[in-house]
Amino acid sequence: MLTVGAAAGPRAKLQLNGVSRHFGAVQALAKVDLGIAEGEFVTLIGPSGCGKSTLFNIVAGLLEADKGGEVLLDGAAASLLGKVAFMPQRDLLLPWRNVLDNAILAAEIEGQPKRAARETARSMAADFGLKGFEGHYPQQLSGGMRQRVALMRTFMFDRDVMLLDEPFGALDALTRAMMQRWLLDIWSRYRRTILFITHDIDEAIFLGDRVVVMSARPGSIKLERRIELPRPRDPALLTTPEFNAIKRELLDAVEEESLKTFAAGAV
Amino acid sequence: MALLRLVLPLLLLAALWEGAVALLHISPFYLPPLRQVLGAIHALWPAYAQAFMVTLGEAVVGFVAGALVGVASAAAFHHARWLRDMLFPLFIASQTVPVIAFGAIVVLWFGNTLMAKAAIAFYLTFFPVTVNALAGMEAVDPRQVALLRSFGASRRDIWWKLLLPSALPRIFTALRLSAGLALAGAIVGEWFGASIGVGAMLLAALFNEQVVAMWAAILAAAAVGGTIFGVVALVEARLVFWRDEL
Amino acid sequence: MNATLARGLAGGLLLLALWEAVVRLAQVPPWILPPPSGIVATTWSARGALLDAGAMTLFEATAGYAIGAALGLLLAMLLALTTPVRKLVLPMIVLINSVPVAAYAPLALLWFGTGALSKVVMVAFIVGFTVFLNALDGLLRVDPAAVSLFRSFGAGPLGLLWRLRLPSALPAILVGLRVSTVRSMIVAIVTEMLGSQKGLGWTIFEAVLQIDFLRVWAAILAASLISLSFFATVSAIERRLVFWR
Repeated sequence: MLTVGAAAGPRAKLQLNGVSRHFGAVQALAKVDLGIAEGEFVTLIGPSGCGKSTLFNIVAGLLEADKGGEVLLDGAAASLLGKVAFMPQRDLLLPWRNVLDNAILAAEIEGQPKRAARETARSMAADFGLKGFEGHYPQQLSGGMRQRVALMRTFMFDRDVMLLDEPFGALDALTRAMMQRWLLDIWSRYRRTILFITHDIDEAIFLGDRVVVMSARPGSIKLERRIELPRPRDPALLTTPEFNAIKRELLDAVEEESLKTFAAGAV
Repeated sequence: MALLRLVLPLLLLAALWEGAVALLHISPFYLPPLRQVLGAIHALWPAYAQAFMVTLGEAVVGFVAGALVGVASAAAFHHARWLRDMLFPLFIASQTVPVIAFGAIVVLWFGNTLMAKAAIAFYLTFFPVTVNALAGMEAVDPRQVALLRSFGASRRDIWWKLLLPSALPRIFTALRLSAGLALAGAIVGEWFGASIGVGAMLLAALFNEQVVAMWAAILAAAAVGGTIFGVVALVEARLVFWRDEL
Repeated sequence: MNATLARGLAGGLLLLALWEAVVRLAQVPPWILPPPSGIVATTWSARGALLDAGAMTLFEATAGYAIGAALGLLLAMLLALTTPVRKLVLPMIVLINSVPVAAYAPLALLWFGTGALSKVVMVAFIVGFTVFLNALDGLLRVDPAAVSLFRSFGAGPLGLLWRLRLPSALPAILVGLRVSTVRSMIVAIVTEMLGSQKGLGWTIFEAVLQIDFLRVWAAILAASLISLSFFATVSAIERRLVFWR
């Protein structure tokens, strides 16, 4: 266990050491060790109910870890609430705010003047494919656009670490593929440290510098796989032998864990 | 367009009224011709205008106060679970009390003032608003609250930016219902000794057995109710434009 | 759940104790606010008259309730079947309903006298409106996909009403019926206050004239208890009928 999940180099932006979490008698997480380097894109996959959301909430600072484990940001242990930009599965856009005002929500809560925040948002809108839609309300947008507004809101909450929880889970396959490429593009331009949760192995490999596989409950890190595929990545990559070899390897690991969950009757 | 949708049924109802009276030979004891009722209002216009203003004032004061206190107490219930557990069952039980029967006692407390009628209107508005505002706040997606917290939002931020706007559609549902209740409260409050107001006019018409005056007072009551309801609906359309989403 | 119940009970008892204590310590005169113990005592000693009056009011309320509920439901079904008529009639009904019922009470008294009939008519009127509006809303708020499905099975308007619209409207109808219980009592009492020879509303009015405020409170207590049991009965029936909620 010394090599798996050890510090990702000297510049570990986010470091989890032996993080566990119980809910009453149920153990959701068991000694998770995970390090993420500055500017790294880490994707995380695992069977349903493996404690991904628990891990996520701990990193977002919404949930305390059990005593004994530690979560370090830039090497220091502190409350993470408000220090990590987090984007939940659902876009959670407020129906009474238009695109710009939804995007500036976090900035507004931080106390930035609205006018300045709106200016920033306006200048970012083109990057997020929302040019011309600044005044629209969420209910007037497509699913993909809503998700881009939510992402923009996350980016405007200017934090070094971003947590994305299955942000494209609810989109149709075509929109999803477009959004993935677009996210990589944005990421290469804004260079944030990203932890990205997904169900989809293709998505995990396509996006990540590194894929982390979680075990069945209680969740822990079962496997880490560095993805050395060249960037920038394009859809043709999905059909290359290298991609398929990695996919085979990860599928085996995930399936083994899914079977455990299935046998335990959790699905 | 919206104006047309309002005016058309009014005209239709008026035509139906006149037509039915003329064609079916309805005795004026039941339904006098509309012309006659409008004529009675016209003849005593200052008195009707004054009654309209007085009753509107009583109902609106109680209505606005009830709405504000209702939202505030819903917020308190939402924040303090124990308070909610202790008082909410009483709230529900008190809904079954025929509140209007308190009219006599309230008039005794406040005398024959605007406050007495406003207090009854307040009581009738306060409950539905509290119940609906609370339901609206409880229905907020906890993930939404978590998201705002992750941005470092304080309780105040969450209340102003999330809980209150989310509860607005249901608050307005309650307000539309309460508009009529507040008016009913003001009218019944006037029955206990008031000399001016729509309710007082109704009572006077009853004692004098004047059907025309009674219908005139009913029209005046409709005007008061329509005014309050219309303003509420207008504000709602401005504030809750996203309603279809929820 | 039990802790919640205990807190609720504690809240009620605390409120009563506070009320009693404030009235006694501050020596509030009974015409401003009598103590709960005094209200209960008066209710008990006047139980014969109150029971008599309560029976009258309950009769008016339930008779009007039954008539109003039946008429409201019937009208809602008729209008659900005939779209053009509904578009014409509904706005007018909403207009008539926008006047508080209290305003119609003097008319009812003039037309139907100060006996029970005027109260029954008034109660039927308000209950009818409440049930009608709720029922129509429920009957029309049916998933259009389900309507298409039923029509593909060959269901006509009547079959649609009976097999799809009515069952899906049942919760809304029952909400209307539940809300109407309290309204029927209130309207019966208000109309009695305006003119009658019997009933709790009349008792209240008479007691006010005689400046007997303990009796006013006693009558309100009796009315609340009757309201509450009427409400509880209909709620219990509702829970049985809408078991899937």
